[in-house]
Amino acid sequence: MAKSCDICKNREGALKVSQVDSDGRMTELWVCAECARQRGFTAVEELKADVADVIAELQSRVEDKDNALVCPDCRMTYAEFKRLGRVGCARCYEAFHDRLVPLVRRIHGAVQHVGRTTKSGRKRAQERLTLERLRTHLQQAIDGEDYERAAALRDQLRRAEDETDG
Amino acid sequence: MVVSTRVRLARNLADVPFAAKAGPADQERVVSSLRWALQEIGCLEQGRFFDDEQLAEPRGSCLLERHLVSPDFLSTKARRGLYVGEDEAVSLMINEEDHVRFQVLASGLDFAEAFGRAAVLDEKLESQLAYAFSPEFGFLTACPTNLGTALRASVMVHLPALVMTREIEKVLRGALHIGLAVRGLFGEGTETRGNYFQISNQRTLGQSESEIIETVTEVCRQLIEYERKAREYLMRNLRTEVEDKVFRSLAILKGARILTSSEATNLLATVRLGIVLGLINEVTLAEVNRLTVLVRPANLQVVLAATLDGAERDERRATLVRETLVRLRS
Repeated sequence: MAKSCDICKNREGALKVSQVDSDGRMTELWVCAECARQRGFTAVEELKADVADVIAELQSRVEDKDNALVCPDCRMTYAEFKRLGRVGCARCYEAFHDRLVPLVRRIHGAVQHVGRTTKSGRKRAQERLTLERLRTHLQQAIDGEDYERAAALRDQLRRAEDETDG
Repeated sequence: MVVSTRVRLARNLADVPFAAKAGPADQERVVSSLRWALQEIGCLEQGRFFDDEQLAEPRGSCLLERHLVSPDFLSTKARRGLYVGEDEAVSLMINEEDHVRFQVLASGLDFAEAFGRAAVLDEKLESQLAYAFSPEFGFLTACPTNLGTALRASVMVHLPALVMTREIEKVLRGALHIGLAVRGLFGEGTETRGNYFQISNQRTLGQSESEIIETVTEVCRQLIEYERKAREYLMRNLRTEVEDKVFRSLAILKGARILTSSEATNLLATVRLGIVLGLINEVTLAEVNRLTVLVRPANLQVVLAATLDGAERDERRATLVRETLVRLRS
């Protein structure tokens, strides 16, 4: 015969609930479905199913995001990169840049190349430095309310940006 | 103790998809660009260029055993190309994991020679090709683990005494601890054999080429020092045991009628130890080094100009070794 609920002593017990009291003693109770809902007890099996759903949901959201991140040149997705561990072309490093920075840091303990460069690399590094310097000066001019100087710097920056792109 | 020094640089072309996304036409373009560049900088006259067709077996395995190509290079489905310099010190793989991977070998511990030559070749190639490069990540490689300098600086060391005194693990763990990789005779994923170990850097970004080389050199010097001490210890305390092992190995090599590749490699390595300890003088180091390459399956078949199955190979190998060692003595 089925045991009756240890709480309402009326309905048929449906769940076995383990309780640990303040002295560390464990007691087991049979609880009916109604009392379980009122007291907020959840069956472990149900709980496991819920957690699995949440994980699957999170995973699929991450996958969607990874699939949506695509290199404009070779069409490699970030999900594909994660599977292969290899990028598809030089442009991937720009397309996946923000995701790659932490990865590169984990692998190498650094994120800034030191050492030999190419001729075009040296030129680009120089240009990047010039742009950064102009941007800093422009910000300083704006902060200092020196609008005349800011306007001149802005024009200079635009020219430099155009040249860098071309 | 340091058998050889090797420097490898990986490079990719800026405007061609990397291996994972390269179609046959892209691969062909990489091969022809490189072939043209090598022609322009005058390399082709001093060496040999192999097309994909010319890399079929048994030549492929033969090149692998001579450390001129990697295992991955033989298994890739891409159209490949290979350049090998006259003295086999320089080799350049086209369409391995990266568009170009070239290495320079030098004997002993000699990064000045190996890296010096690699840097010159790199500059010459760059004058003909547009490399994929970013000021932030350095030379762009297919795998982020090679970014930055894309340099693998490695030394092949022979540490038999440390193995015999069972200190090798402790010593190599030290190398691992400071971020170096320790591998077997044929690089990544291969077992150590004959007490040969390959020590190389893992990190390629955030350290300059000279810093990387300095670290590897420093660790290598330490290993040499430990090995020297272990050898002294062996000769002082276990001379008879060492002599026994060395002369037994020599006797087996001289007398065996069947020898597998790994047995031959291990025995030759022990004989090598006997030579450096001054116990054996009837064979030279150069001879042992030469035999160590010849006993590998593919090279053996090329030397004997025959395709052999395993059992035949083991017999012919034993004969080759026996005859070489007997001839040397007389």
